[in-house]
Amino acid sequence: MKKNNNRLDRLLELPKEVYSNVPKVIITGFDELIVENFKGILEYEEYYVRINTHIGIINVNGYGLDLENMTNDDIKVKGKIESIDIERTIDEG
Amino acid sequence: MFIKILLSYLLGYLRISVEGYYIERFINICKTKKITIWNLKRSKDIQLYLNVRIGEFKEVCKIARKTQCKVKIKSKKGFPFLLNKYKKRKIFLILLFFMIVLIGLSSNFVWNVDIVEENNNEMENIVQDIENAGLKTGTLKNKINTKEIINKIRLQRKDIAWMGIELKGTNAIVKLVKAEEKPDIIDENEYCSIVSDKTGIITKINAQSGTANVKVGDTIKAGDTLINGWMEGKFTGVRYVHAKGEIEAKIWHTKSKKIPYNTTEKRDTGQVENKYAIKINNFVINLSKKLSKFEIYDTIDTENKFKIFSDFYLPISIIKTTNKEQEEIAKSYNLEEAKNIGIEELQKELDEEIENKEKIVNKNINTYEKEDGVEVFVTYEVLENVGTNEKIIF
Repeated sequence: MKKNNNRLDRLLELPKEVYSNVPKVIITGFDELIVENFKGILEYEEYYVRINTHIGIINVNGYGLDLENMTNDDIKVKGKIESIDIERTIDEG
Repeated sequence: MFIKILLSYLLGYLRISVEGYYIERFINICKTKKITIWNLKRSKDIQLYLNVRIGEFKEVCKIARKTQCKVKIKSKKGFPFLLNKYKKRKIFLILLFFMIVLIGLSSNFVWNVDIVEENNNEMENIVQDIENAGLKTGTLKNKINTKEIINKIRLQRKDIAWMGIELKGTNAIVKLVKAEEKPDIIDENEYCSIVSDKTGIITKINAQSGTANVKVGDTIKAGDTLINGWMEGKFTGVRYVHAKGEIEAKIWHTKSKKIPYNTTEKRDTGQVENKYAIKINNFVINLSKKLSKFEIYDTIDTENKFKIFSDFYLPISIIKTTNKEQEEIAKSYNLEEAKNIGIEELQKELDEEIENKEKIVNKNINTYEKEDGVEVFVTYEVLENVGTNEKIIF
């Protein structure tokens, strides 16, 4: 059933983040990061943001980080971003 | 998101600070309860600044209590708070309302009539004619019937080729094209003779039809007949024709000027004073004394119409009067200098007057010394075509 669904979606060329919980991370320049389909915030400091998603955790390091535009499923982090790393919790394979 | 923020500006929002150890939990609960919070900023200690809408503030307070955070209001922003501020200033609000009504009312009138003439051809009394036809400053815009006005003026005047009235804001732009005066064209079939229109000496005459009345070398005045509109034959007698021919004559262009030896020249000293006046329709209020402190000065008046937008003129204008102080400097020339100045000036004038430079045959310069100056005469001899048709009246 799931496989069929996937095939149908591929046929319709639907973006993945629309039909599933997979997060989409957009980085514009080095000062702006948007995460779509996020679950919550685990930690928030001025120099460190930890964003929880359905398949893992995204860590953002930097300084002067602000959380702008928080809506139900996307979040915008603004500030001087220095590094981003990902922690997998669920193996997709 | 932008629309959401705009909406929250209209509804009013608060900038609050939340202080506590479980800030992440606070944010997550806000998210699950679908409370929109934006512009979150964490300062170095345990404070968090964020924006929240007025309606959702109470719920935020509840969540803060749950997560053991303190809430403080930093500032109130948005339209409702702005309105609240002006509740106390009733007179200001009334005046603001009054102003808006006044502007709205005054936009129904024409406050400025601009007359644009094609090629800057000046037309006499056109301003008055337009006023008489009903287009005045201060008339209601609805009452102006552009077609009727155009018809009225065109009936009155014959020198207008085209006319258009455009109402733009409180501006009425009248565009005019002047009709060119055409010389009377005499029909090919009608009998005519050629008459001189200038004074000079004939250098060439060539009658194609008709008989020549003058010879080469004759002096002609304006009004002399050059080619008669008839032919005489031995057997046919007198036969009238449409005279045709080429006549070239030497025409003198003379200019004279007197250059005095001692003159006074005015020069700006650089001292300037500005005076302002306010003009409301035709009523002028001077903001300063009319008399100038300078003895000799040059005044320049500039009038600026008061306008709100590019096309919205009001019947108020500011008149700026600039007085430039001048001083008189006595100058004296000797004979040679005066001569040269006179000749140069006259030659420049003549050069502007005569278009065809190749036809200039001779230049003549005469100077006469007088007691207090030099009189300079400059004469150009130019070859020109002369003659206009004149109908033969029997």
